[in-house]
Parts: sequence; structure tokens; C-alpha cells
Amino acid sequence: MIQNVLKETGGIGLFGIISICLFFTVFTGALIWTFLQKKSFLTTMESLPLSDGEITSELKGEAHHE
Amino acid sequence: MNIETFKYDNRVVRAFAIATSIWAVVGMLAGLLAAVELFLPGANLNLQYITFGRLRPLHTNAVIFAFVGNGMFMGIYYSLQRLCKARMFNDTLSWINFWGWNAIIVAAAISLPLGLTTSKEYAELEWPIDIAIALVWVVFCINLFGTIWKRREKHLYVAIWFYIATAITVAILHIVNSLEVPAGAFKSYSIYAGVQDALVQWWYGHNAVAFFLTTPYLGLMYYFLPKASGRPVFSYRLSIIHFWALIFIYIWAGPHHLLYTALPDWAQSLGMAFSIMLVAPSWGGMLNGLLTLRGAWDKVRQEPMLKFMVVAVTAYGMATLEGPMLSIKSVNSLSHYTDWTIAHVHTGALGWNGFLTFSMLYWLFPRLYRTDLYSVKLANWHFWLGLLGMMFYVVPMYWSGITQGLMWKQFTPDGFLQYPNFLETVLQLIPMYRLRAVGGSLYILGVLIGCYNLYKTARQGRFEPDTEAQAPALERSGHGAESGHRWLESKAGLLSVLATVAVLIGGAVEIIPMFVIQGNVPTISSVKPYSPLEVLGRDLYIREGCVGCHSQMIRPFRSETERYGEYSKAGEFVYDHPFLWGSKRTGPDLHRIGGKYPDAWHYNHMDDPRLTSPGSIMPRYPWLLTQKLETNSLPARIAALRKVGVPYPAGYEARAQKDLEKQAATIVQNLKAGMVKAESNREIIALIAYLQRLGTDIKAGQAPKTADLAPLPQTTVSLNP
Ligand code: HEC
Repeated sequence: MIQNVLKETGGIGLFGIISICLFFTVFTGALIWTFLQKKSFLTTMESLPLSDGEITSELKGEAHHE
Repeated sequence: MNIETFKYDNRVVRAFAIATSIWAVVGMLAGLLAAVELFLPGANLNLQYITFGRLRPLHTNAVIFAFVGNGMFMGIYYSLQRLCKARMFNDTLSWINFWGWNAIIVAAAISLPLGLTTSKEYAELEWPIDIAIALVWVVFCINLFGTIWKRREKHLYVAIWFYIATAITVAILHIVNSLEVPAGAFKSYSIYAGVQDALVQWWYGHNAVAFFLTTPYLGLMYYFLPKASGRPVFSYRLSIIHFWALIFIYIWAGPHHLLYTALPDWAQSLGMAFSIMLVAPSWGGMLNGLLTLRGAWDKVRQEPMLKFMVVAVTAYGMATLEGPMLSIKSVNSLSHYTDWTIAHVHTGALGWNGFLTFSMLYWLFPRLYRTDLYSVKLANWHFWLGLLGMMFYVVPMYWSGITQGLMWKQFTPDGFLQYPNFLETVLQLIPMYRLRAVGGSLYILGVLIGCYNLYKTARQGRFEPDTEAQAPALERSGHGAESGHRWLESKAGLLSVLATVAVLIGGAVEIIPMFVIQGNVPTISSVKPYSPLEVLGRDLYIREGCVGCHSQMIRPFRSETERYGEYSKAGEFVYDHPFLWGSKRTGPDLHRIGGKYPDAWHYNHMDDPRLTSPGSIMPRYPWLLTQKLETNSLPARIAALRKVGVPYPAGYEARAQKDLEKQAATIVQNLKAGMVKAESNREIIALIAYLQRLGTDIKAGQAPKTADLAPLPQTTVSLNP
């Protein structure tokens, strides 16, 4: 299908191929990066929203239980 | 370690929160009135400012940019500070962002009813407002990146990535799509024409959905969902994949709005393929959200805020499954131009954006005012009314869309259209339109209860303008030991560059070939520029928002060529600045309307459509019959059109008025033959000239079939240099 699509672009085939390659390379790169992460780092990041350094909320926040 | 104490700014968050609540009510009421006008065409009380064509863009702009826009800023300004452990970069910029944005919305609320519009969907605002939008957006970007720059948290949480992608992409989209040449203070012409304009517009339109309604709200989901449930995100890994996959793939999908149109096939196939790929990251994101709540479902039952959130995320999942499905060509051939699209977008708007915004509001108000929610019971009422309202909205629209789509395509055994009269297919839908208005009303009732609840919550608490917080200062010296991705993710600048590259690749591949390859828009020699009177008529068509109900794009199906005539060719639109293909057929396609009826028919039909078409739901346009045609701006319009590439000969401005008068006189003559007495300087004359020209160029050379048709304007001939 890709071949067909590219053919019909009439002469920009190379441009298209370069773009698609670039697209897949960067995307694969992002995937690989993701899987190289250490578990400890991921755990920190997963709970990052839970700590915001608020002084007041840590004191009073628990007073009105959600 | 050096512990610093600082304050989060709650004032600007509150301002955005109040604004989003008010605009929610305004935008939805505008939508309700528009919905009522579709079964009660007199509901505008014959006021031109609130006819359907002008009201629809008001509704969409109010909901997207006023309601969701303020909701998005509210959530970003709250979460960004806390995720960066820093106050916003600059308070003044925050307030310029707030007042600037809301001033733009007020300008929209005034200019759209006045008919000042470019007609490009979700980009209707005229050029001075476009410039203001760009400036305010830059202020937002500076504030965003400034805050990231002075943060005390080393790592950028995934929500911030989504904010960055939003900031950059919206800027690019807005600027590229709004390139236009002014013809006066409130009028401009898109620099693109026809097919190219359509492609740029839907590259924009689709990605406005992606990067204004989706990515910022996903960022907010990734912040508020864990926050409210007190649980860490289910999988941070998944959230990163979600992010990259989404921004990469989304940007390619725009052409799915133009399937089976005159857009070249390769662009259509590209759009379809990438749209289908979108299911994967979207569902990954939805599952990541829902799984974050694992083990917290008892909380969901008690906490209204979480209930709203769960429905919002589920609606996101439903809309993002349906979207790719609608991008499949065969499904699209049935769904396109029908109410199915309306059902689809309202799953997104009412479910995903609406419920997520209310969820944030219910969570924020008690915290900003240091109190409990005024009434959990009322919040539950809001929830159930909202859900019921959505059902009553969406289900009738599916029904209506599929019914009408099938009726358009139905042939009798002898090979004739089963419903040759378009109006017949419309009348079938009226009960559905009534039900939809009921659904919308229920939803709005819920919103009003919600606003009351928030107001009472504010009254019983005490507003905390600044929240004190503490965090260690961030050491800025780089560690060599950081692993690749952490390094990447702590570098906001690099991240932005990569996100921009991702976005640009997709956009470039779609758009550039359309401009560099002549073959993509085959020229048709008999297609000529519009005459001066037709230009003004076309601008009236734009002013009145006829494009909100009428397409000008006949698809190459037998069911359409039988009904409307020869299918539309790319080369026919080369002088259409902007394109007016439309996206919804509440009325029939108008691309081949030229020559179908005598001038007098149009005169009577525009005065009151029910005179010629009993039961029609098209609004009356009596003001077109009485208002004087404004011709002072004609030279400016001709000059601007020449600048964007329409080949009017040099100095044509001087002759334009005379040509206009000549053509108007012919139409007055034709009207007289049809027993209509009209003056030649009224707006209706220009509109008729335009309508009679539509789609006739490829028939040039053939003699008009009936004597009472308007003769093809002589003026077009004199345009040839
Ligand atoms: C609310 C949606 C709506 C709007 C807005 C609207 N129309 Fe219509 N229009 C219809 C419907 C429905 C019909 C079919 C019934 C009829 O003939 O009135 C129709 C029919 C027509 C027809 C006849 C088409 C044919 O082939 O018989 C013309 C011409 C037309 N409209 C022009 C306009 C123009 C010009 C405007 C803007 C000034 C406009 N319409 C705005 C809904 C709309």
C-alpha cells in the first residue's frame, strides 16, 4: 500500500520515504528509551503528582477527606 | 540541602475557573438555541444576528475556545506550578493571558453574530482577532516555558510534556491556517484556494481537536486523576508511549475529513491509514487512566469528582474508537455530511471535555476556598443529568445520521433515487432534532446546578490567594551519569524541539506536495474568476454562514451525481478563497445549483424558504431583500483577491463597479420576468448572481437549457487579461 501511496504523489517519492523513515526511527527511539528506564525512576515519576510541597495542604488537607 | 519556601498563585486559577463556568453556560445555551432552530426555523425571531448560520460558529467557538480554553488554562496553571514546585514564571503574564484570552472571546461573541467570519471551521475569527490570538498564545508559551525553566523539580512529569506539545503545535496550526490577505479591517481572503485551502484547513481542524481538545486534557487527566484518587499513575512507561505515539500519529490524520472529495487519493489514503493507527495510543491512554483507579473504586462511588473523571475517560475511549472507524472510507461514505459526525463530536465535547472540566472544578473549588464541597447530593444530580443529557443527545443523532445517510443512497429497483427530494430526508429527522434539544437541555440543567453548587462552596469557604509550599532548590549542575531518557526528559528545550519536529514532519508530508506538484490540481481552462457581483455574493454567503448547512462538494457516487449532477473536480475551485466545501448537509449540496432554478425562485426562497419548499427548516433571510449591497469595499476586495492569486487584470478595480451594475441589471430583468420587482442595489441580487454561477463553469460553451435561466454573466469574459 505504501508503494501505491507514494507512487501517486508524483515525483516526491523520495521525500515521502525519507519522512516515513524519520518518523519510524524517532518513534522507535522513543520506545527503546522508555523500556530502558529503571524501575525506581518510573515509580518516582508515577507518584510525582501526589507530592506538591504544599505546607497547608499537608497540614489541613487531610482534614476534609475526599 | 537548601529548602526554599514559595507560594503558588491561586488567583489566576480561580479567574480561569469562574470564566470556564460562565462560558460553559453561554456556549451551551447558544448550542441549544441552534438546536431549536433546526426544528423551529422561526426561533431566531427573524433576527439576522442569531440565524443558524451565524449562531453555529458562535456555539463552536464558545465551547472550544471559551469553555474548554479557560478550563485548560485553569488546569494547567494549577498543575504546572505544583508539578514544577514553582510559582508561575510571571504574574503579569498570567493576567495578560487571562484578560487577553477572554477579551478575544468577547470579540468573537460580538463579531460572529455580525457575520464577520472567514468561514473556516474553528478558525472563523477575522484577521485582527487572529493576530491577538497569536500574541496571547505567545504570552502563554513564555509563561509556560519560564515556569519550567525556574522549576524545583528536576524531572518533567508527563503532563508537562502534553502541555508543551499543546503550546507549540497550536501556535504552528493557528499561524499556518490563518494566513490571509486583508481587504479592509474586518475582511480577509485565505491565501490558499480550493483543494489546498481545504487540506490546510482540515490539517488545522483535525489537529485543533487533537492539540486543543485532547493533548492538554490528557495532561490534566494524568495530573488530576492520580491526585484525586490518591494513587500513582498505573504505568508511567505507558504514558510516555501514549504521548509520543499520539503526537506523531495525530498530525497525519487530517485528510480523513476530506475522504471522497476532490483531494488527491494519496492524501486520502495517508489520512485513513494514520487515523486507524490512532486507536492504539488512544486506548492505551484510556486504559492507563482507568487502571490508575484500580483498588480505588469504592472512592469512585463516594466522590462525585471521580465519577465525572471516569465517564470523561470512558468517553475519550469511545470517541477515539469511533473516530478511526469514521475514517474508514466505506463508513465515511455513509456518515459524512450527516448527524453522525455531530454525535461523534458531542461524545467528545460533552463527555470528555465537559465532564473532565467539571471534575476539575469540583476538585479545585473546595481546595481554593479551604472548605468542603457545598453539596455532594447536588453534584450527583449534576452527574446523572449530564449523563442522561448525553444519552438523549447522542443516540438521536446516531439515529438521524444513519437514517439520512441511507435515504440519500436508496435507489428504487428501476434505478431511480428513492427520495429524489432532499427535503423528504430532512423531514424524517425532525423528531430526532426535538429529542436532541431535550438532551441538551438536561445537560445544561446539570451545568446550572453545578455552577450553583460551586458558588455556594465558594461562599461558605475563605479564598486562599496563595498557597505556601516548600521544596529544595534544584541543583543545576549536570550529572554525567544520567541515563538517556531521563536526560531527555529533564531537558525541556530538547523535548520541545523533538515534539516540534514530530509535528512538522506530519504536516509537511501532507501539505507540501499539494503546493509543489501541479498535477495534484489539474486546471480546467473554462474555470474563470468570479465577477465583481459574484464576489460580493460569495462574501454574503460567507457572512450568513450558509456553509454551516450546505456543502459544495459532490462526491463521485452515483447517488450523488444523480441528485446533484457532475461530481466536483479539484480544478473547479482554483479561485475559491476560501474553499466552501462545508462538512454538513442539513440542506442539499449547492455546487451545481447554478442554472437549476430561475432567479425569481431564489428570490422567493431566500425571502421565505417555506414558500417554495413547504416544511423546509432553512431560515428566512428577509434582510437580504432590503439591505443595500455595500460596494465601497469592492476595489479593496478585488485587490486582495489579486494578491492571493486570482488573475484579475491590472487596474480592473476601476471597471469592476460598472461590470457589477451591468450584471445586476440583467438579474433585475430576469426577476421581472419571474413577476418579482426588485431594486438592483440590494444584497439579494449579489447572492443570486453567485448562486447562479456555482458549478456552471465546466458547462461553459453549452447553451443554457431553459430560456428563463440567468444568462452566464458577460463580465467573466472581460476578466481575461
Ligand atoms: C439551517 C440550515 C440552513 C441554512 C443556514 C441555509 N440553508 Fe439553504 N437549505 C436548507 C434546507 C433544509 C434546504 C432544503 C429545503 C429547501 O429547499 O428549502 C435548503 C435549500 C436551499 C437551496 C435550494 C437547493 C436545491 O437544490 O433545491 C438553496 C439555493 C439554498 N438553500 C441556499 C441557501 C443560502 C444561500 C443560504 C445562506 C444565506 C442557506 N441556504 C442557508 C437549510 C439551510
